[in-house]
Amino acid sequence: MADQEQSTSSTFPNPPPFWQDFTPENLTRIEQLRKSFAEANPTRDVPTRLPVIPESLINLQPPAEPKDGRFKIFGEHYTLENKLVTLEETGIKNLAPTHPSRQGDNANPSSSLNRRDVPHTDHALELKRLAKSLLLNFLELAGTLSINPGDGPAKVADLETLLFNIRHALNEYRPHQARESAAELMQEHLDRTRRETTAIRSQVEKARRVLEGLGSLTIPAEAERGAAAAAAGEDAAQVAEELRELDRRRDAELWAATDAAFT
Amino acid sequence: MGDRLTQVQDAVDQLAQQFVAALWFVQRRHDLETLGPKDKIFTPKQDGQAPPPEVDSLPVDDFRAGLTELSRDLITKEQQIEYLISMLPGLQNSEQDQERAIKELEEDLKAAESQRREALKERDQILAELDQVIRSIRRP
Repeated sequence: MADQEQSTSSTFPNPPPFWQDFTPENLTRIEQLRKSFAEANPTRDVPTRLPVIPESLINLQPPAEPKDGRFKIFGEHYTLENKLVTLEETGIKNLAPTHPSRQGDNANPSSSLNRRDVPHTDHALELKRLAKSLLLNFLELAGTLSINPGDGPAKVADLETLLFNIRHALNEYRPHQARESAAELMQEHLDRTRRETTAIRSQVEKARRVLEGLGSLTIPAEAERGAAAAAAGEDAAQVAEELRELDRRRDAELWAATDAAFT
Repeated sequence: MGDRLTQVQDAVDQLAQQFVAALWFVQRRHDLETLGPKDKIFTPKQDGQAPPPEVDSLPVDDFRAGLTELSRDLITKEQQIEYLISMLPGLQNSEQDQERAIKELEEDLKAAESQRREALKERDQILAELDQVIRSIRRP
């Protein structure tokens, strides 16, 4: 009771109690079990669920798939295979059975293989037809209502069928679009990575040029200084002045080279 | 703004709403006329109070203009839907094409990623070199 009160008053429900089973000891134990299973059955892959497991470790492996293929989560019912409910199943007339993917179960297995390489152009054509029918049917509805309002509901039902068909066709297209978007995203990522690589390369190239520039600069400067030092027999004050001048020029040259490399 | 399929879906929904709106306009704003001299317009009585008029007539010209506008909107919306449909992504691709394209992209991505790593390594190396050079600079 106390538990229940707590779970209803908190914003999020408490985690299921079995999280406490995931102790380091238990984890190592199940790891060992897996290893021994792999050694005992070298030919088979280790399944996610070990067939024999002590009671205390039962929560450490995922539960079995539901046998009837249905499960419930957050109050919603789901089935294991996530398939689109066909129009016939919901009791709505299927208006456009022309697309291979809509031919249902009576299509033979070979066509289900061929179906994968069918482009979706006729799918779009079908959708356009449906959209045109929608407009035409509305015109008919307006006409019917002005002549005999009693026949209106039949026409409204037609419109409804059309709308359901369009919706269904769109939903059928969704997996296709999902794949397409995935490819688009990957392309984008690829372009970005390539751009980044070129940018890095060009920076490296610049840095290398700077290094080379520096290397070629130091040698004449050193030589000049050596010459200056050799001539240091004369006036000490004049030599000091020359040395300062030389340093200043060397600095200026260095900065100029750096500027040239980076602009 | 969702993906293109959702855009089509929304446009279809809007078209349906426009249908209702158009019918409602005709129903509500037409010029009320009797067909013959014997016809009477039926108005339900509600305990003394005048009921809200069922028809709120517009002048003939305005009504016509309204009809024209609504019809034009309907047709525009339908054309918009068709345009959106023809813009759906990957119409010309089949599932196999898509899978192949995705696989190729995956390979390319891997190659590009390793190239990037190489470039990064190179950069770090040159950076270290530069660092060393800068550190070794001393005033003569």
